[in-house]
Amino acid sequence: MALKLTAELLNAIERHAEAAYPHEGCGILLGRVEGDTRTVTDILPVENQREEAARRNRYLIPPEVVADGEEMAEQKGLEVIGFFHSHPDHPARPSAFDREHAWPWYSYVITSVEQGRASGSRAWRLLDDRSQFVEEEMAYA
Amino acid sequence: MPSIRIPTPLRPYTGGQSIVPVHSATVGAALNELAERYPQLRPHLFNETGELRSFVNIFVNNEDVRYLHQGETPLREEDTIRIVPSIAGGAGETGGGERKVDHMALKVNQAFIIALLMAAYITNTPWLVAFVAAVMLIGTIWPQAALFKAVYTYVLKPAGVLKPRVIPDNPEPHLFAQGLGGVFLALSSLALLGLNQPVVGWALAWLVVGLAALNLFVGFCAGCFIYYQLNRLHVPGFTASPIERRK
Repeated sequence: MALKLTAELLNAIERHAEAAYPHEGCGILLGRVEGDTRTVTDILPVENQREEAARRNRYLIPPEVVADGEEMAEQKGLEVIGFFHSHPDHPARPSAFDREHAWPWYSYVITSVEQGRASGSRAWRLLDDRSQFVEEEMAYA
Repeated sequence: MPSIRIPTPLRPYTGGQSIVPVHSATVGAALNELAERYPQLRPHLFNETGELRSFVNIFVNNEDVRYLHQGETPLREEDTIRIVPSIAGGAGETGGGERKVDHMALKVNQAFIIALLMAAYITNTPWLVAFVAAVMLIGTIWPQAALFKAVYTYVLKPAGVLKPRVIPDNPEPHLFAQGLGGVFLALSSLALLGLNQPVVGWALAWLVVGLAALNLFVGFCAGCFIYYQLNRLHVPGFTASPIERRK
């Protein structure tokens, strides 16, 4: 179980997270699936559509935006393989709220941003029985 | 026959199928048909009470069924149902990130302030002004000890006399407004009890009565207005911004 991406793409994810600080930033991961390994080839940073007062610890990508991402992926012969979001001044671990609002299979990349600087990113997948997230190895392609 | 397009994450539960044909006549029935055929899919679409999970959205030919007839939306032969997640989450723990205020508690607080201050004026009892000032200032610094709100929380609400009106809102501006009122009344008490300046003292008390009444009867919170102006000017400490209504 691994998520492959280049240093450039990870850098782009972390810069987006820093730009969104003190709010949560978010986006869509596009790429290819080979067995249990995914390779991120494109990222789509999107606007966090939660209301202003909640954006510091909540994010929302509405279904129309996810559907647009799916269409874009299809046109490029790719798949939506997951999503990324940031945790301002919180560790890069999924919260209970993240678990209630997730599907298995997708890769969820979380970037911790401390005082405006990205301090690390980790990838997670929800177990089939929805009981917990397990960490997915991030490999640099 | 109408069909359901299965998003990639859910295909492991449909034996890898990306399109599942259904016989049902409505969207709701079609989703149940799908969940009955593939029981392992059910927990990812429906919650424990059988409702569609809040982040699961259903489209019929690219139209969100929430804007059609929800589960009752009829299906035609050529229709395609799409299951699309909205992606939500965030660092805040469950419920903790939601900002809500019970406006009924605020109204009870305002009613107490108005009634006691008017009683103080009519009976010429300055110490009652000092009492209200103390309740307001203590309630600002230590919200759990707010006496008038406690009457609501522990007596009026459980007895069913008043019904909660919990709406998305920031608590800080209301606390700030109360603190401001408390400061006015503390100055009023000082004028009445310490400085022998009854005109100044009662004028300040009536100012607080007027502002509390404006809030109680018209719904305009002057202290909150000041708070949000300070927030707009980025004054340190005034971090809560007005809550935008969602589209």
